[in-house]
Amino acid sequence: MIDRLGLLAPYATHLSDFSAMMLVLGLPVLLGVLAACWQPRRSWPIVAFSLLPLMALAWLSFRVLPQGGQTWLIELGSLTLQWRANGLTLLLLLLTQVIVLSSAAYAPAYLREEIGSKGQQVWLWPLQGILAASLSLIWLAGDLLTLYIGLELMGLAAVGLMLLPGRVDALAAGMRYLLLALVGSLAFLLGIALLLGAWGRLDLVGLALAAKPGVLLWVAVALLSAGLLLKAAAFPLHAWLAPVHASAWTPVSALHAALVVKGSFFIVLQLWLVLVPEARVAAWLVGGLGGAAVIWGGLLAWRAAKLKDVVAWSTVSQLGYLLLGFSLLIGTTPSVAEVAWEGTWLQLAAHSLAKAGMFLATGNLIYSTGESHVRGLAGASRRMPLSLLSFGIAAISLIGLPPSAGFTAKWLLLHASLEAGYWPWIAALALGTLLSAAYIFRVFRYSFVEDAEPLDYRRVPWSMELFALALALASLLLGLVAEWPLMLLRAAGGGA
Amino acid sequence: MPPFLDALLALAMVALAALVLLDRHLVRACAWFVAFAVSVALTWWRVGFAWLALLELLLGALLTGAFLFYALDVKLWAGAPQVRLARWRDPVPLTWRRGLLRLLPALAVLAMLGMALASLADASGPLRAGGLGLIGLGLWAFALHRHLLRRLLAFNVIGTGIFLILMGLVGDRHPAAGHGLVVTGLLVALLGTALGALLIRRLSGLEVRGVRSAARAGRGGA
Repeated sequence: MIDRLGLLAPYATHLSDFSAMMLVLGLPVLLGVLAACWQPRRSWPIVAFSLLPLMALAWLSFRVLPQGGQTWLIELGSLTLQWRANGLTLLLLLLTQVIVLSSAAYAPAYLREEIGSKGQQVWLWPLQGILAASLSLIWLAGDLLTLYIGLELMGLAAVGLMLLPGRVDALAAGMRYLLLALVGSLAFLLGIALLLGAWGRLDLVGLALAAKPGVLLWVAVALLSAGLLLKAAAFPLHAWLAPVHASAWTPVSALHAALVVKGSFFIVLQLWLVLVPEARVAAWLVGGLGGAAVIWGGLLAWRAAKLKDVVAWSTVSQLGYLLLGFSLLIGTTPSVAEVAWEGTWLQLAAHSLAKAGMFLATGNLIYSTGESHVRGLAGASRRMPLSLLSFGIAAISLIGLPPSAGFTAKWLLLHASLEAGYWPWIAALALGTLLSAAYIFRVFRYSFVEDAEPLDYRRVPWSMELFALALALASLLLGLVAEWPLMLLRAAGGGA
Repeated sequence: MPPFLDALLALAMVALAALVLLDRHLVRACAWFVAFAVSVALTWWRVGFAWLALLELLLGALLTGAFLFYALDVKLWAGAPQVRLARWRDPVPLTWRRGLLRLLPALAVLAMLGMALASLADASGPLRAGGLGLIGLGLWAFALHRHLLRRLLAFNVIGTGIFLILMGLVGDRHPAAGHGLVVTGLLVALLGTALGALLIRRLSGLEVRGVRSAARAGRGGA
């Protein structure tokens, strides 16, 4: 599996590849700072300028993909950092840029219409840029020091974004989130300290060869996983997620649910594949937690009174699927791991796109009706079909109906569970599908109430509608062209 | 170096950390924190990490201390306190039952860590013992206290403990990697503390405003 992660890819020889990578990392921050100086009032400049990092990414892909993957060694004095790129990392980079672009392009109209002059709007842009760069750093990192830096940057930027509304509830939720994030990163650092003390290295390839099973390895992996799973809102460490989303701005919620929690999940999966690839029982336990998350998150989403809580709890549920995939990757036969590998990453991509789209659509619904409760949607179907359409298309992928990418991903995970003989997982997948259908149709049931008293609806600006619809459609269309990301994932090799 | 002095230094660090974490008077606790950071810097200097000592003095004692006092709205140049002292005390008293109950998770983590460290044969003096003590104390305080500032203090103490253990483990063999991690960690701790201090200040400001407007509304209703 290490070759799948691209860690064994050949070393880069050309300087141009390195500069392409630095552009991919640096441009989002630069654009964020520029946007803070000249605050964009419309969406089109954001889209136009966001093409620059996308072009840099295309250049990087063009350089990297023919060889399957590439590794860079970065010497800083006596310190050596190791970064790598392969099909998987390029896919994740593309996902990050598309979602950051959409949420940034959604923001101007949202800030103008919904927020007005409240909150600290200037900070939104540089923090989004830092978030994009730190996520890219996490996808590219091939050693623990880079991972630590990326994780911390991402955590602090995410906390900063959550605080922007400046209201008491946002600040209180943000403070809780800050303390949890800090404790999670301390556990992560302690785990790294143990690994470095025992085997004297931080690069993942070297650790994979050097690490020997024993008490120390287990304690280190337990500390690393506990810190990261806390940040990834994995069951039962998920309680902070819903209050944080309830008070955050809509584009920030979309970014957070789609990308930030995925960053921690990616690191945890990578570390397990590198350090303890045969730990079947422990992975089974994590998968059990994932199954519980699918069901518990679905139940709470079904019971939630507020619209944003429905979407936030559905994130807990959907992250459970990723943990199920996690357990199918560790300590299973190669044929099972093969299928689970594709299913897990496709689920990650599908959920990111669908959840970002759904959060934006939810923001539109709340903006238009002025109601944050599900009940407040009564009669909304006649007035705002487009927002409901985006919500529905995103829901198709979340529930896992064909032809969405969510369907393909869940199908692959089901296939892997069957082959591995993990019967409880199949029950969790089936129950999760039913529950997600239940909480989605609950929202629709309220919106199709015909005899509700008419509310004053505000017209949603077209750019807000457009980007919600675009992300939702992307999650649907990804299912139709699923062969393309899967090909990238299969070609993830290099070396092998 | 004489082991007696090392043991004394480790003991001083842990004792100062205990004062930081147990003093209910918050201004005094923050003052203890500055003293604690200075003792940590002294330890770094004793074991030969002069750069870390300097950074600890600058980031830990000076800047973190400044942010902590900012969170409490203490003006060092103002002399006598301008506001009521009640705001500077943690209102929740320490009860033995709660204290013992919250000790359990800290002990569990310490036991786990102790087992892991025992499997690494090489012993190294004050750093490891002091680090373990700080981590245990900090975890206990973090689980025990509800006051945001005290949790921030506990986080800083745990972090320092982890840095000490890290450098104790890595020692002279991989100084570059160890330094990289510790410097990143120190910066993150500073940024986290700064963000937390700004938040605490702002939250208490909003609370005061809320109480005032509620009182005004009450008067208006009556």
